[in-house]
Amino acid sequence: MATPSPAADAVTPGSRAARPGFFGLIREGFGELRSRGHLIRYLVAADLRRTHADTIIGQLWWIIDPFLQMLIYVVLVTVVFERKVPDYPLFIFAAILPWKWFNTTLKDAATSVTARNTLIRQVQFPKVVLPAASVVAGTVSFIFGLVSLAALLLYYHSRISPWLVTLPLIAAVQFAFTFALAFFVAAANAFYRDVQNVLTHALRLWFYLSPALYSVDQVSSPSMQAILRLNPFTPIFESYRNIVWGHAPPDWAGLAVVLLVSLVLALLGMGLFKRVEASFAKIL
Amino acid sequence: MGTNGQAVDVHDLGILYDLRLTRRTTLKGSLAEMFGRRQDRPTHFWALRHISFAVDHGESLAIIGPNGAGKSTLLLALAGILEPSEGRVDVSGRVSTLLTLGAGFEMEISGRDNIALAAAFLGIDRRTITDLTPSIIEFADIGPFIDAPVRTYSTGMRARLGFSIATAVTPDILLLDEVLGTGDQDFRARSQARIRELIDRAKAIVLVTHDLSFVTEFCNRAILLEKGQIMHEGDPAGTVDLYRDRVRQKKALLESEARRFASPPPAE
Repeated sequence: MATPSPAADAVTPGSRAARPGFFGLIREGFGELRSRGHLIRYLVAADLRRTHADTIIGQLWWIIDPFLQMLIYVVLVTVVFERKVPDYPLFIFAAILPWKWFNTTLKDAATSVTARNTLIRQVQFPKVVLPAASVVAGTVSFIFGLVSLAALLLYYHSRISPWLVTLPLIAAVQFAFTFALAFFVAAANAFYRDVQNVLTHALRLWFYLSPALYSVDQVSSPSMQAILRLNPFTPIFESYRNIVWGHAPPDWAGLAVVLLVSLVLALLGMGLFKRVEASFAKIL
Repeated sequence: MGTNGQAVDVHDLGILYDLRLTRRTTLKGSLAEMFGRRQDRPTHFWALRHISFAVDHGESLAIIGPNGAGKSTLLLALAGILEPSEGRVDVSGRVSTLLTLGAGFEMEISGRDNIALAAAFLGIDRRTITDLTPSIIEFADIGPFIDAPVRTYSTGMRARLGFSIATAVTPDILLLDEVLGTGDQDFRARSQARIRELIDRAKAIVLVTHDLSFVTEFCNRAILLEKGQIMHEGDPAGTVDLYRDRVRQKKALLESEARRFASPPPAE
């Protein structure tokens, strides 16, 4: 039997009636992410283990999967639709891999709270760690998946440009955007399980309405151009493609706007999540 | 720690459930509820209402009452898992519930890694859990399996590991909800001994049980809860007697009603 030890971050609740305001909740949420960093780390490790436990080659799927997806789109676009874009495999690969990151992360985040329902009804812990862990786990997988991009670039070595070093910056913007949305979908799915189903289709539509398989200047319809202008993934995809395929700098202005929007959304998402967090134990 | 020696201070506590959200809602369900069928069913339910009591350091309080009285809800509110809808709950010191018998286990990672994960969920800092891990493993008695994925464990092994983690740190305030028997005979004896030990060490105890002899033996005060409200608060023996009386009365009432339905109505 152990002696009681004053734990550094032990649960020492004071009065539980007083709830901070919206901004207080946001601060509290980010504070919890910081103080429970090791919990997030353990969850990420468990998550990566779980995802790949029942497959033979495990994490390698993060390399093979984008390749197979790329092949399908290459066949579809160049053979069926007879479009000619030079080095098209690399052209779309620059979008497929980041999209896999976004897609996987949001789907995981959506079920991150509901999957822990038993635990939430039995232990008091900051629920913000759950979507946060999904985002971090997705990011780790993405970084691993970059190996596939490197392999493809070796094949199309004439496309390699110094702009490649800006990839972490573009990824950082995408991280901020994904992080922000993760809190919304996690909270919403706790109340309505439909969210996880709707999300699958919403994400697919979103992908086709983003300049992933085509570039913005290939689009002529005015309504489609309007959609692309409002789509946060337009500057993200265009930037990735510029540095990977186009020998060009990222769309700095577009990325800055997305980053700004993401930061606002992240604050809102965190505030909203913290606001409804208390009811998770009742509704799950 | 606590002001004037109080470990727990509950004032006018109410826990309100929104039933529209608790029945596994889908969008369709709440849309249907929004348009039409509104007054069909009650939309809210007070699981607890107007609950006030205090537990001093050194005290051990039993909460008894029929099923659905709100006993477990009250423990969840004390543990901070449920937030008060009204009133307040003040708790001074580290709270622990023994509810956590393997609820958070990750199947694909080892027992050892699960100890770290569970401790992180419980908010036990890393140095403490590193020190405690050997004794947790020893008490759980799962031998070399500790480095195998929890997926490979038997139900009993999972329960033992869960219990061992949950009881590893002595809390200031111990909340017990009828988890006095897990696993085989041998482990049940050891776990009961350990709970006694925790009871001895904790600064205050609140426990929910149907074992009324346990109440009179181990507690120095008892609360009788019925339909989310405190019916009686006092010494264990008196409260238990009152509860037994009420159960008898209710049974008699039910029996007389059953007789009324079984026999034909008296002729006029």
